[in-house]
Amino acid sequence: MNLQATIFDVFSYALLSYAVLLLTIYTLIGFFSIAETRAYVRKNSFTDYRVLASSPDAPSVSILAPAFNEGATIIDNVRSLLSLNYINLEVIVINDGSTDDTLAKLISAYDLYELDFFVNHQIITQPVKVVYKSHNPVYKKLIVVDKFKGGKADSLNVGINISKNDYLVSIDVDCVLEQDALLKLCKPFLEQTEKRVIATGGVLRIVNSCDIEGGRLVKINLPEEFLPRVQTLEYIRAFLLSRMAWTRLNGLLLISGAFGAFDKDIVISCGGYNNETVGEDMELVVRMRRFMEEKKEPYKVAFIPDPLCWTEAPATYKNLGRQRNRWTRGTIETLYTHRKMFFNPKYHVLGMVSYPYWLFFEYLAPIIETVGFLAFLLFCFIGVVTWSCFFIMMSIFSVGVLYSIFAILMEVLTYNQYKQKKDVLRLLLVAMAEPIFFHPFVVASAIKGNFDILRKRKSWGEMTRRGFTHLDKNKNKYGN
Amino acid sequence: MISSPLFVLASLVVSLHTLGLVILIFTNLILLILAFMLFFMLWKGTHEKNHDRYRLISGLLIRRAVFYDDQIDPETGIPGTKKATRLMVNKVFRKLFTEELISAKKNIAGMAAENLKYLYHQLKLESFALKKLNSAHWHTKAKAIQELTLMDMRELKDDLFVYTNDKNEYVRMEAQVAVVQFNGFEGLRFLDSITYAISEWQQIKLLHKLSNLPPAHIDISGWLKSPNTSVVVFALKLARNYHGFEMHDVILTCLDHPDPQVRLQAIHCLGEIYNDETSVHLISRFWRDDVRHQLAIIKALQNIGSEKDNIFLSTLLGNDDYDLKLNAARALASSGLKGFALLVEYNDADLVLNDIITQVRGELAA
Amino acid sequence: MKILVAEDDDLMLKMLEFRLKKDGHEVIVTHDGREAMDKIDQLMPDVVITDIMMPYFSGLEIIGAVKTKYPGIMPVIIISGMGQESVVLEAFQLGADDFITKPFSPNELSVRVKRFEKSFFT
Repeated sequence: MNLQATIFDVFSYALLSYAVLLLTIYTLIGFFSIAETRAYVRKNSFTDYRVLASSPDAPSVSILAPAFNEGATIIDNVRSLLSLNYINLEVIVINDGSTDDTLAKLISAYDLYELDFFVNHQIITQPVKVVYKSHNPVYKKLIVVDKFKGGKADSLNVGINISKNDYLVSIDVDCVLEQDALLKLCKPFLEQTEKRVIATGGVLRIVNSCDIEGGRLVKINLPEEFLPRVQTLEYIRAFLLSRMAWTRLNGLLLISGAFGAFDKDIVISCGGYNNETVGEDMELVVRMRRFMEEKKEPYKVAFIPDPLCWTEAPATYKNLGRQRNRWTRGTIETLYTHRKMFFNPKYHVLGMVSYPYWLFFEYLAPIIETVGFLAFLLFCFIGVVTWSCFFIMMSIFSVGVLYSIFAILMEVLTYNQYKQKKDVLRLLLVAMAEPIFFHPFVVASAIKGNFDILRKRKSWGEMTRRGFTHLDKNKNKYGN
Repeated sequence: MISSPLFVLASLVVSLHTLGLVILIFTNLILLILAFMLFFMLWKGTHEKNHDRYRLISGLLIRRAVFYDDQIDPETGIPGTKKATRLMVNKVFRKLFTEELISAKKNIAGMAAENLKYLYHQLKLESFALKKLNSAHWHTKAKAIQELTLMDMRELKDDLFVYTNDKNEYVRMEAQVAVVQFNGFEGLRFLDSITYAISEWQQIKLLHKLSNLPPAHIDISGWLKSPNTSVVVFALKLARNYHGFEMHDVILTCLDHPDPQVRLQAIHCLGEIYNDETSVHLISRFWRDDVRHQLAIIKALQNIGSEKDNIFLSTLLGNDDYDLKLNAARALASSGLKGFALLVEYNDADLVLNDIITQVRGELAA
Repeated sequence: MKILVAEDDDLMLKMLEFRLKKDGHEVIVTHDGREAMDKIDQLMPDVVITDIMMPYFSGLEIIGAVKTKYPGIMPVIIISGMGQESVVLEAFQLGADDFITKPFSPNELSVRVKRFEKSFFT
């Protein structure tokens, strides 16, 4: 009885303190993100992006778009990239050994011819087969590279070797971009006078059920299926709240590989993308930050709260599970590679705040939740009075829901992408349903990710590409 | 002690209490936020309807001003402004109207633009803007300056000069653009006294503004020696854009400036402003700086170099750095037959050069 | 004349429409490159006035298409805020018949459009 009660007490108080800490952090994030977003919206109102779009002094950008078996939508996607509002631009599409007609479609649609191109192998990659350009002057910004399969990181590195411009924008080729996306993403590089901006990221939104025509976003709709819908909520929380808050502290660790801009010099100095990890986007940002810290130069990683890039979210539990599993493994690999920074004052905010946060509250959270839940079941089974345990779980539950509702509020107050009242209502309902139908699954996938990495599974896990043609058929519903 | 059942019960009751309280607080907070959201959306809904009406009124009046072909009678001004004048006390309408007016003014020039300016005066909108200049908030001040600039309120240009060195960068930015718009190149005199750095973005904005004005002769030599490095960089860009050939020797001194950004910009500048000696100076400093500067020098030599420089370029063909190799090859290939001959004759142990030559040939043919 | 206008800014579009209608022309308004291309093929305007930066197809692509499909009979005028030399050169190289930079004077537009009236009768 003595020992049991002690264990029980220690356990409860540990769990409680974790929960209280989490709550404090969420609140702080809430405040920081409001301040940062408000500041951004205000500053943004003074910007006439047209000036940047046509200025010869605008930073030169190379878009790197790795493509693997994207035949269904590649022509439209590349077209929308080529019509981005930006002058000093080259669009490099890297065909990563596709087994379908991706390359054939590109060659035919864009009138491509083989080019004698000297590839400067600054970063070691899988060999490049052919480099193509277009006969048509309207498509002069396009370069297509055919290479042997090597994975996303390897393809990006090929793109880096080929690019001639100063800034890189990595993008998932099936993402739908706003026309001004590139301008908004690159402007932070020009605004700082004291620090060097090494990377910028933008907000990702979920494109499922939106109307797409010719690779372009025509109408924004809330996803109809449950899983993409709940991920919409998740993305709002992550991007609008969490990442904006971290930007204020200059502690942002992750810029999504789906859309981010990087200073090419620094990327090359760091050695390019890491081929050994599945979380290559996060790992690069952490490595770049670490590089700047070690060089002792003032720097900043910027983040734009404007929705710039729309991406497809997994709609089946199977694909979702694969994705979350991969994210967990990526996080583990990155944290492990850079473990030297843990509570290391030499790395300032990066080592003392960002890294520990990611370790304890992003990586460990699913594990602690699972342990807590299993312990709860165990205590129920044993028959120990567990009301405080139960109440702790309830309060964590309500904190979670509160946080989601706060995120929805922020979204309504700022960008208000989902204008219809019934959509906001749907989001609120999803906030209630999430802890029961979504969150446990995500936690389970994360746990599985931990086991998998112990077993060293290294595949990307292909997400079956549904393609936008499936969504295009829906456009008739909206009278287009 | 801990094992005492009474104690356990007591602590449980206490924890029940606090936790129960906590849950109560949370539920209340949730309800509060939900209620707030509901009200906000309802309010926004009614707002939108008004907005449409306001937009209609503004649009009509603005179009009338744009296409008003007759002489404007100073007594009556532009007709049809009664409704707008009445609504002007409404902050929302005023904001919307001003935005639409400014948006139109940005796209329209000539007589029509003058009419829009007249309309702005007639509706006394500049008084509201001037009031905002005294605000404590930076964004209000900056917005007001921007408005006055876009509506071309030249009469107020002297009032705005003081803001060019304001502690807030956005106020500074707007004021700098304003004085350039109103005073042309003369307005750049704020560069003499500015203590803050001018960001790259701000430089782009200023250059854009200047490009819309007829070119004028200004003395930038003072700025090229400024202690403020961003001013030096900006002055170099001005020299480049406006062909300040007489500045050549001063620009040469910038090649030795302590700031790498200045040195880089000076190299770019000399690619356009040069004489017979320039390439010698560039080549003599080639090995002092990093690859980025070296590549810039090669690009400059491509423009300004002559035969005597080809020999130097051909020495780079043996360099380990592929970027240098490629760019040197490119420069040689495009400098004429003799340069191209040097390129193909070069004995390259590292066969990479052949690939480079093929690519460069392809580029020239295209 | 029957004039097709392609411009994604509503305010600008209305301005152009108003001015051209005032001059007695029949005006077809379109809001993006795709709509413009479709209506050019359907309605065969006498003159096309287009912005450069637009959704779906840019003004430059429209020039290319019009000059290939309807050479010599359909003048294309560009109205754009991008007055950079490189852009202007490219537009003319692709076959544009005129280039007006924003901010523009409606009176000037009217006169430039009128120039193409004469070719209607040659």
